Amino acid sequence: MSRIHTPLVLFLVVAACSQQAVIQEDMMRIDGAMPVNLAGSWERDYARSDDVNAALREAFYQLSRTSPDRQFSGNPGLSQPSSKDTAALLALARLAELITRPDVLTISQNENEVHIARKDDFAMLCAFYDGVAKGTESRYGTEICGWDRDQLVSHLVLPDGLQVTHRFTISADGNALRVVTTVSSSTSRMPFTLQRFYTKFERPTPDYKCIETLSMKRVCSTGELVL
Amino acid sequence: MFVLTCVPPQDVQGAVPLNVSIAAFDPGVPEDQSLHRDLEIFPRIREIEAMLLPFALRQALLDTREWGAVRIVPEPDDGAELLVTGSIGQSDGQDLELTVRAVDASGRVWLEKTFTGSPDSKQFHTVIAAELADARARLADKTLSNVVEISLLRYGMRLAPSAFTGYLNQADDGTFVIERLPAGNDPMLARVKLVRETEYVITDAVDEKFQELYAEIASVHELWREYRRKNIEYQNSNALRALETRSDAPRGSYEAIKNLYDNYKRDRIIAQEQDSLAVAFNNEVGPRVEAMEARVAELEVWVDRKYAEWYRILEGLFEAETGRED
Repeated sequence: MSRIHTPLVLFLVVAACSQQAVIQEDMMRIDGAMPVNLAGSWERDYARSDDVNAALREAFYQLSRTSPDRQFSGNPGLSQPSSKDTAALLALARLAELITRPDVLTISQNENEVHIARKDDFAMLCAFYDGVAKGTESRYGTEICGWDRDQLVSHLVLPDGLQVTHRFTISADGNALRVVTTVSSSTSRMPFTLQRFYTKFERPTPDYKCIETLSMKRVCSTGELVL
Repeated sequence: MFVLTCVPPQDVQGAVPLNVSIAAFDPGVPEDQSLHRDLEIFPRIREIEAMLLPFALRQALLDTREWGAVRIVPEPDDGAELLVTGSIGQSDGQDLELTVRAVDASGRVWLEKTFTGSPDSKQFHTVIAAELADARARLADKTLSNVVEISLLRYGMRLAPSAFTGYLNQADDGTFVIERLPAGNDPMLARVKLVRETEYVITDAVDEKFQELYAEIASVHELWREYRRKNIEYQNSNALRALETRSDAPRGSYEAIKNLYDNYKRDRIIAQEQDSLAVAFNNEVGPRVEAMEARVAELEVWVDRKYAEWYRILEGLFEAETGRED
């Protein structure tokens, strides 16, 4: 059961901020309209998106550079990360790859909400009431969001220090969307980040209209829908 | 043509069969929209439930055969012989929490109590009906007769205040007592009765609209409640699954963190599925409810206009007959 509790959300924001400011309080407030409109159907641009293996190699490289053991190794700049660090980072990479797997995003947006539907995953929702973002909290985690200037930021805080952050940025011409997903955990010295690009596409307008109902399920008509 | 749908008083057991008006219930939707998701309240559906629930209570009251006409009215009427109002505290398909208040025309509170239970259970409304019957049984026939008189006089006071001044006295606590009664052959009283009967015809027409709506959407509403029950079951089974599958894998391993993510994901999908069902319910039922509301609004406008006209005529008649200008 989902619950929304501003004080708890703020606490989590503060808790998150104590390590790294993902969503600051001013990001959770909008004055009037949403900064940008992300609405539309977006399909993955594979050519521009990160290759997971390349991103993982880069992450391992960074891990070896920051390894506490490097001072004891022959190479002052690099050191073989511990198997524990390697396993933790690999786990984050696998989860990041899983989360960013959907190749189509369907984003709808109105003055109060941004709704991001993904295949095989829950829809991310960023809702503002009276200009203030409201988080979604359940016993399984807390989701908060906000606008970092023209970037929509969604931050999911799960147990065991697991965190998933998505940053959505739309191009100036409105035809490309960049989503930077970062997965971090208290069990890993380094977060793992994947960058995905999406291109806007127009869904063909069907010759018929459909609505969902409870008793008749999906009802479609080429004319006016009268139940 | 309007059709009377109420149980005729002559079929009723008991000495003084009071007429009962059940107002559409208060849906109990917080004004703060940000709380709706938190409390899992779907405002439009709650509003519809607030219109539907009185029907079950009406049926329970009719089944006792201890009451006169039992009407569903869109707005509370303080002058009704017995006015029953309700406020929904919780309604999730599994549990219903309903606060019921019953006040007679004299302002005496018969019942003010919160009832909880399964909305499926016929007993839920039977218990309320039984409590109302108990409250009624505690009152003497003379008191009940006074309630009927007070109801008519209050109606007269609203319609022709000049003619009906001085019959009732309102105490500091808001209750009404009869100071004196108009003569049985008082022509103004006869006119007011006539107007009231006419208004009852309209009220019954509105009531009939509610009944038609109830008949049309009750089955869809039952489906909605069934889905909500299933949704709660899914939430519970997800909680159990999360507990049972608490990963034995090492903390920070892929299996462990994926499990954490999946728990959240499933919970959100269940909640979002419920949102989709609410939309489906509104798609199916919304147009019918809106059509009914529009028709009821038309009738209410008609009544309001007629009411103003009756007021003007009756006040004019009183002035002409008595030479008084109040």
